[in-house]
Amino acid sequence: MAREEHRIVKGQVLVPYELALGKTWSAFYDYLKEEKIMGKKCGRCKRVLVPPRSFCPRCFEDMEEWVEVSPEGVLETWVYVNMPFFAQEIRIPFISAQIRLDGSDSGFIHRVAGIDLQDFEKVREIVKLGGRVRAVWNPEKKGSILDIDYFEPVD
Amino acid sequence: MGNAVAIIGTGQTRHGRRSDACYPDLVREAVTAALEDAGITLADIDGVVLGTMPSMMEGVSSTHFYFAEALGSVGKPVLKVETCGSTGQSIGHCGFFWVASGMADIVLVVGSEKMSEGDGQATMTTVFDPFFQRTFAAGAPGVFTMQSMEWMYRFGIPEEKGREAAALISVSNHDNAMDNPHAHIRMRVTMDEVKNARVITYPVRLLDVCPASDGACAVVFASQKAVRKSGRKPAWIRGLGFRGEEFFYGESDKAVWMSATEAAGEAYRQAGIRDPLKELDVAEVYNPFTYQEMIFYECFGFCPRGEAPDYVLRGTFLKGGELPCCPSGGTLCTNPIGATGLIRMAEAALQVTGKAGERQVEGAKLALSHAMGGVDQFNGITIVGSTL
Amino acid sequence: MKRVAITHVAQSSGAESRESLMDFTYRVNKEILDKAGLRREEVGCIIAGSADVFHSGLSCANAFDWDGIGAFLKEGSRAEESAFSFIYGCMRILSGRYDTVLVTALVKGSENPDNDPVTGFYGDPFYLRPAGLNESVVAALQMRQYMERRGVTEEQCAKVAVKNLGNALFNPYADRKRRVSLEDVMNSERRYDPLKALECAPKSDGVVSVLLASEKRAKKLTKKPVWLQGYGSSMDHFHPGDRDLLNGRLPEAAKRAYAMAGIGNPRKEIDVAEVCEPYAFQELLWCEQLGFCGEGKGGTWIDSGASRMDGALPVNASGGVLATNPYPARGLYRIVEAALQLKGEAGEHQVGKPVRTALAHSTHGFGGQCHSVVILSA
Repeated sequence: MAREEHRIVKGQVLVPYELALGKTWSAFYDYLKEEKIMGKKCGRCKRVLVPPRSFCPRCFEDMEEWVEVSPEGVLETWVYVNMPFFAQEIRIPFISAQIRLDGSDSGFIHRVAGIDLQDFEKVREIVKLGGRVRAVWNPEKKGSILDIDYFEPVD
Repeated sequence: MGNAVAIIGTGQTRHGRRSDACYPDLVREAVTAALEDAGITLADIDGVVLGTMPSMMEGVSSTHFYFAEALGSVGKPVLKVETCGSTGQSIGHCGFFWVASGMADIVLVVGSEKMSEGDGQATMTTVFDPFFQRTFAAGAPGVFTMQSMEWMYRFGIPEEKGREAAALISVSNHDNAMDNPHAHIRMRVTMDEVKNARVITYPVRLLDVCPASDGACAVVFASQKAVRKSGRKPAWIRGLGFRGEEFFYGESDKAVWMSATEAAGEAYRQAGIRDPLKELDVAEVYNPFTYQEMIFYECFGFCPRGEAPDYVLRGTFLKGGELPCCPSGGTLCTNPIGATGLIRMAEAALQVTGKAGERQVEGAKLALSHAMGGVDQFNGITIVGSTL
Repeated sequence: MKRVAITHVAQSSGAESRESLMDFTYRVNKEILDKAGLRREEVGCIIAGSADVFHSGLSCANAFDWDGIGAFLKEGSRAEESAFSFIYGCMRILSGRYDTVLVTALVKGSENPDNDPVTGFYGDPFYLRPAGLNESVVAALQMRQYMERRGVTEEQCAKVAVKNLGNALFNPYADRKRRVSLEDVMNSERRYDPLKALECAPKSDGVVSVLLASEKRAKKLTKKPVWLQGYGSSMDHFHPGDRDLLNGRLPEAAKRAYAMAGIGNPRKEIDVAEVCEPYAFQELLWCEQLGFCGEGKGGTWIDSGASRMDGALPVNASGGVLATNPYPARGLYRIVEAALQLKGEAGEHQVGKPVRTALAHSTHGFGGQCHSVVILSA
């Protein structure tokens, strides 16, 4: 009897989780519903972190003070994603971006949109490192990071 | 300070798509090779350290159970140590400390991955938190591209120059892999081929990116006493460092990358290295992406910030250059992630013991090995030398 | 030989926490650092004990762990099981390169699927997993053999749950707090016959930390250092069918630990033990293998009351894993509870007798595939 030499077995694994957001991150999402981007300020190093943290990872102290940061900021870096990935929520092509919101001391990861994304060469004419972008709010708030629909370039 | 520890044997599988072997058999292939190289048997091993990428990679969790026989660990103490992509360095460090603590004379350290069996990018994406950043994640290429862009912008590196230098890194790594019988990708590529390859995430193209490999690596760590007994030429551990940054991407500056800089600084302090470019003979830098390799050169003090492309184009890191990097072909040509950092360490050990065959850098006495993990979060360094 | 001590400990409650895993971790590590009067920057090295994606929904557990354990730009690492993390931390001190090491184990069991599907992923995808094995199934196979071959009764096994859940009532950190009678245990649901629901550990949240120090440093940091005296560990075959489920690797692990600690007669020399018993009968089997009683005598031993909080050799005065089971962290919980007994700081569950030497045991894997034994002294 002929035998297949190297057999492959196919399978898939699905595992459900229920992950607690905790007080600070829950509040962040509540603020998003009010179209406010809130960070927290460390009493020791004075850095403002967005998303907010309950504690400063560097100083290892509670972060008590809420600070509203600007919905506008500087594009620190970006990537044009035009390849499908597992569990991708956003349809390709999209732009994943790191934005330094005015009044904050950390890069905020979101997406840049609101422009024609189909042609990369045209995109790079508009989307520039060091350029300014502004939050565009999703009229429907779901308590998710996509309550900020996207950031659009400000000229 | 403390007990001296050396590497007395290494073993690697043939890396690549290994659907001819089930996962434990692949692991055993590396273990057997390492024992043979060290001239010892399983009976000589006091403890075993294992590390891989997360369970999602192959869909089996806590593989120290599954691999018990393949590791030769039945009846022995085992430690499972994991830090994502930097796992290979972290398990090597654990092997070092196990022996340095005096609790063992010989420790077998094994790293493995079988990337053809799962979705590696799904693993990368789920390293991101589910609350904020995962939505925008695009696997490893997305992150590394963001970092490379930021770096070039920060130091005013013209796009053309960055492209040219990255292409040369790809060409030289592919050339080097031709000398390495274990390498996954063994083909020569030209500058034009790299520059015109399919775009993955601009400006990163297919030939700027490592493959997904199956493979395993095993390394034998020994005390001074065991080194003498083995009669093997030792690669002494001269310095090691591991550093991690904050979890959220964007919180730390990835263009100057503190974790890479400080991990190397720690290892240099221990090894007494002041001018790495001059003092090191060879480096095995973890380079899944060509552009990123240049950031590492700067963090490791091989050249001033922002000048890596100039040094690359001058041939500094080529075979025969001032500091040859990745004579093995590097991560760019072979990447079974859980094993990759340990392969870097094994290759460094082969170099300083004069056992690197076709890829030997002549007269190498001091070598750096490295791995990076998480979403640009962790860096581990080990420096090995032919003398203590 | 250099020595290593536990100077401080901290732990969270095992009950479900509403905090994110990151904040939950931070609270405990902040507490231990405050107790020791150290800032995180002053600690030599930080090691996490956690399990990846199946236990957290996040790949590369160390990535998410890093902020909460306080490891930003610190020398550090992560081991997958907390007894592993502990001994790795000790190795770092014994190497002479670090004076202090912080070891923290963490998990939020409340956020994850049940233990059974999670441990099911230990199985290979070709044979054991399709055959439906998980830790509970193998434990049931093991329990039936234990009763048949060793003559231990089902009631004697159930008594472990009665004892440990009773002890847990005195432990403020315990998760499952409920006084149960032998009848309650015997009548609880038979999920994996002969195992009953109350004989199986719950799934708990938990963050637990120890600060380790070199001898010189320990004496400056605390008046009551707890010293590592012995360590032993051993791995068994993967397929349960390749081994004798009643003659595993625990005797070997214990022998190594006893030899290192210079213990000749554990029954006499160990004052208190924290034994990892995710399934009630396993406490009896493990105690036999640790040499606390003769082979097959686990049943009569529990009948004698020796392992009760006021007995000759109290076992799991904390309530053990049957009361609190933050899976990858439970090994370090055993070590911390043993340390508290040695420091005399276990509060209401402090045992009656003086404690000079304590044993902490940890196991994971099908039917106890891997065992670690730690011996501590005051």
